Amino acid sequence: MPEDADRDEPVRVNFRFRRELAQKIEGNLASFCYQCGACVGDCPATTYSSGFNPREIMLKVLYGLEDELLGSESVLWQCTNCYNCHERCPQEVKPVEVIISLKNMLAARGIYPEVVSKIIGTFETTGRTVRITSAIDRQRAKFGLPPLPPVPMDEVRILLEPDTGTDEEE
Amino acid sequence: MKRFAFFPGCLIPARYPAMEFAIRQVLPRLGIEIVDLEGSSCCPDPIYFKSKDKLSWLAVAARNLSLAEDLGLDVVTNCSGCTATLSEAIHLLEDDILKKKVNDRLGRIGREYKGTTRVRHIATVVRDEVGYERVRESVVRPLEGLKVAIHYGCHLLKPSKIMQVDNPDNPQVMERLVEALGATAIRHRNWYLCCGKACQTEDIPMNMMHDLLTTVKAAETDILGMICPTCFSQFDYGQMKISKKFDEVFDIPPVYYFQLLAFAQGIPYEKLGFDSQRFKPECLLRF
Ligand code: SF4
Ligand code: SF4
Repeated sequence: MPEDADRDEPVRVNFRFRRELAQKIEGNLASFCYQCGACVGDCPATTYSSGFNPREIMLKVLYGLEDELLGSESVLWQCTNCYNCHERCPQEVKPVEVIISLKNMLAARGIYPEVVSKIIGTFETTGRTVRITSAIDRQRAKFGLPPLPPVPMDEVRILLEPDTGTDEEE
Repeated sequence: MKRFAFFPGCLIPARYPAMEFAIRQVLPRLGIEIVDLEGSSCCPDPIYFKSKDKLSWLAVAARNLSLAEDLGLDVVTNCSGCTATLSEAIHLLEDDILKKKVNDRLGRIGREYKGTTRVRHIATVVRDEVGYERVRESVVRPLEGLKVAIHYGCHLLKPSKIMQVDNPDNPQVMERLVEALGATAIRHRNWYLCCGKACQTEDIPMNMMHDLLTTVKAAETDILGMICPTCFSQFDYGQMKISKKFDEVFDIPPVYYFQLLAFAQGIPYEKLGFDSQRFKPECLLRF
């Protein structure tokens, strides 16, 4: 519940936030969350961090607590992407996928940790997540392996361009 | 010979060519032929690029899959991350609306995703197409008495409905594959724990790895059997960092399963790149 919610005040849901999230692939799945907590027990980020709890994150999504979810120090980056919550949820909410969709919203606002933006940058310029250097090809040659072929980036770049339609992110 | 389109991904060919070498050595001996998937890119990775833009991530994955469709072959992967991305893409693209969106993008480069290919991780290909018995028969150097702790990692098994590899709560494939080499597979107490590599904070992965290494150590095994190159980097380079930070001795050599298989099939230790590991599995030299 929002911290400043007065007991007599009705809860206000930020539907604009939820509509934006719903446009991401599988972003809308939190709507099926009935807050049972089955996703919590096997969540390593919950075990190792007091600030992280996938059930609570789903609740904040349901309320649309944008400021708490999408701040620059967002707790979302603590998720280890282990997929245990996806495995355990009886409602097929796929909490980890909702979290990734929320990260897409962070990205749209230009907020992500340096290590994340670095790897994304490598992918967007080379088509791989590891930069290919002559040292790598020398290592490969030791095992009789050919140099790594370049990725056809002309094709990949065209695929990365956003759609012109109306249903993409605003 | 059963043929597959080989999707090597980024991490193994770039950082761990010894793993790729081993795969290319062992598969023909098991009756599996692999055809290189020309023009493929990063799968793309299911952690970083996916967290920027799921739709673009899906479009690039669909392009990779369409390359295999052109060859009329199923895809074999060697990395749990690639397996996760490509399997999930196939799952998501069963949705007609999403498939149309993605095909609109692929149309820009004259490609189409049809949905005619499957993705199989190399371990499941060996289990299902070759069988444990034939793996056993291919061994010329049985690893009798070698104790191998097993680390599955997360993405090979979960989400199980999409990955369709094994029961995530009681998987068998790694144990059976290790036993086919004559070695003893051991499930350490924290076998289920994630390696933490895909977590973007400092402390959580450190503490997780510390707990993981503590139970691996308590199991008193010779090596740690790995199936995922990302987990491998956590247990090789990462293990060194944990030892320093916690001022404790952790020195279990991680070994990628297909290098172990290659060794058991008779490929000399020196040829398998073990010397470039931070923790070298010198215990294998007794075989
Ligand atoms: S397991 Fe599913 S339904 Fe239950 S709290 Fe977690 S996300 Fe919600
Ligand atoms: S994927 Fe993230 S939220 Fe889900 S169980 Fe793992 S760490 Fe927790």
